[in-house]
Amino acid sequence: MKCEQLKEMLPDYWSGALDQTGKAALEAHLAGCALCQREFEQLGSVWRKMGAIPEERPSAAMRARFEATLEAYEHGLQQARRVERRKKLDHWLAGWWPQQPAFQFGFAVAFLAVGLLVGHSIGRGTASPVSSGASNIEITRLQEEIHDTRQLVTLSMLQQQSAGDRLQGVNSSYQIRQPDPPVLDALLHAVNYDQNVNVRLAAVDALHRPASTTEIVRKRLIESLQRQDSPMVQIALIDLLVEIKEKEAREPLRELAAKADVNAAVRTRATWALERIQ
Amino acid sequence: MDGQDEAENLVDNRPDDQEMLAVREGDVGKMGTLFERHHRMLFNFFLRLTGSRAISEDLVQDVFFRMLKYRHTYQPENNFMAWMYRVARNAHLDHARKFKLELVPDTDEQPWEPASHDPSPHQKLEQEQEVALLRRALGKLPVEKREVLVLSRFQNLKYEEIAEIMGCEVGAVKVRVYRATKELSEIYFELAGEKAS
Repeated sequence: MKCEQLKEMLPDYWSGALDQTGKAALEAHLAGCALCQREFEQLGSVWRKMGAIPEERPSAAMRARFEATLEAYEHGLQQARRVERRKKLDHWLAGWWPQQPAFQFGFAVAFLAVGLLVGHSIGRGTASPVSSGASNIEITRLQEEIHDTRQLVTLSMLQQQSAGDRLQGVNSSYQIRQPDPPVLDALLHAVNYDQNVNVRLAAVDALHRPASTTEIVRKRLIESLQRQDSPMVQIALIDLLVEIKEKEAREPLRELAAKADVNAAVRTRATWALERIQ
Repeated sequence: MDGQDEAENLVDNRPDDQEMLAVREGDVGKMGTLFERHHRMLFNFFLRLTGSRAISEDLVQDVFFRMLKYRHTYQPENNFMAWMYRVARNAHLDHARKFKLELVPDTDEQPWEPASHDPSPHQKLEQEQEVALLRRALGKLPVEKREVLVLSRFQNLKYEEIAEIMGCEVGAVKVRVYRATKELSEIYFELAGEKAS
């Protein structure tokens, strides 16, 4: 066997796929070739060492993010199917409508006449409260649907690869009156992990309103302040905490102001913030 | 021999294939089951490639989103795992193109957890140092070589499966694995030498 052939066999040997005949040939060659023996040992030891690199667990937030995405996707799909069904119904109805203008006119007149007759025979004024009740329900349902769609848009934009799209996602969150937990979670995730500082800053701004009403958001923003590394985002977070006068933030701010490795501007801002949150 | 292996693969992957088929037919909720089964493996795949936990989590999300979006391109006669890894490779490639600067893994982001068995403190320290050194060496390997090693050594995929993922012959995969291991070993021993001197 030549040295070249041995090299082709090594990957099978490492993965345990080499058969007995192959192994015997390999060992026979190694016994007579010091160069290959040396390479065999070195590469083999690196291959074994790779096995010692432990597997890691992803964070729990990843599952929550996936579930929110899947839910939003399913919801969007159902909406699309509803529209599709409506289109089919319209198409079917259109099939019944006559093609000739003269017949169309005739149909219209006949329907008008039937409508007038029915309206006249039923009488006046009794149906109005019922119909207005029904239309109120209709409006509420529509409002809910718009709310859901906006959340869907925000969530899916925040998942995009392009920073511009993610920025749009952050901006579209302003249109949601009361964002659901998945949207808030996605925004907080953007504050903590987005690679683009502009997206992180925009997400901090978008969380102003939710932060003033929701305690968990305030808590998570304080946590975020402790882990941020971008001075701009840190200052934006400090300003937000000052604006909502978050007392819980005092201790982390004090720590930030005292930390030597923190940016000087951030430390000054933290000291300034402490004077304002009393 | 090869034919038999292929038949076994097909049987092994049947559950995934059925779920993905259901997703393709519109039952997108089944993607949840596939996420449960594979997200951790994919996370580790990206972690070895990028060295960053945050980026890896983003990329896993991206893979499942792409599989939902392009579910119609899934063909039942294909192996699901090979298809998923092809999507994963593309996601990583797109990411690498967009964020060229971040290709070099940030090896100091997270300290490695010690291995699960219980060696002596001295052995433990030595092993941790070796692992850290190996991670640095992996980070210095060109990305296409790192990828073939990650697939074969960390994801426990057979060379036949890797060939399907990469769209090449099995022989070519073995050659790449050999070359990548050789280069990794050169970098590793060079780094170890620097440390010793």
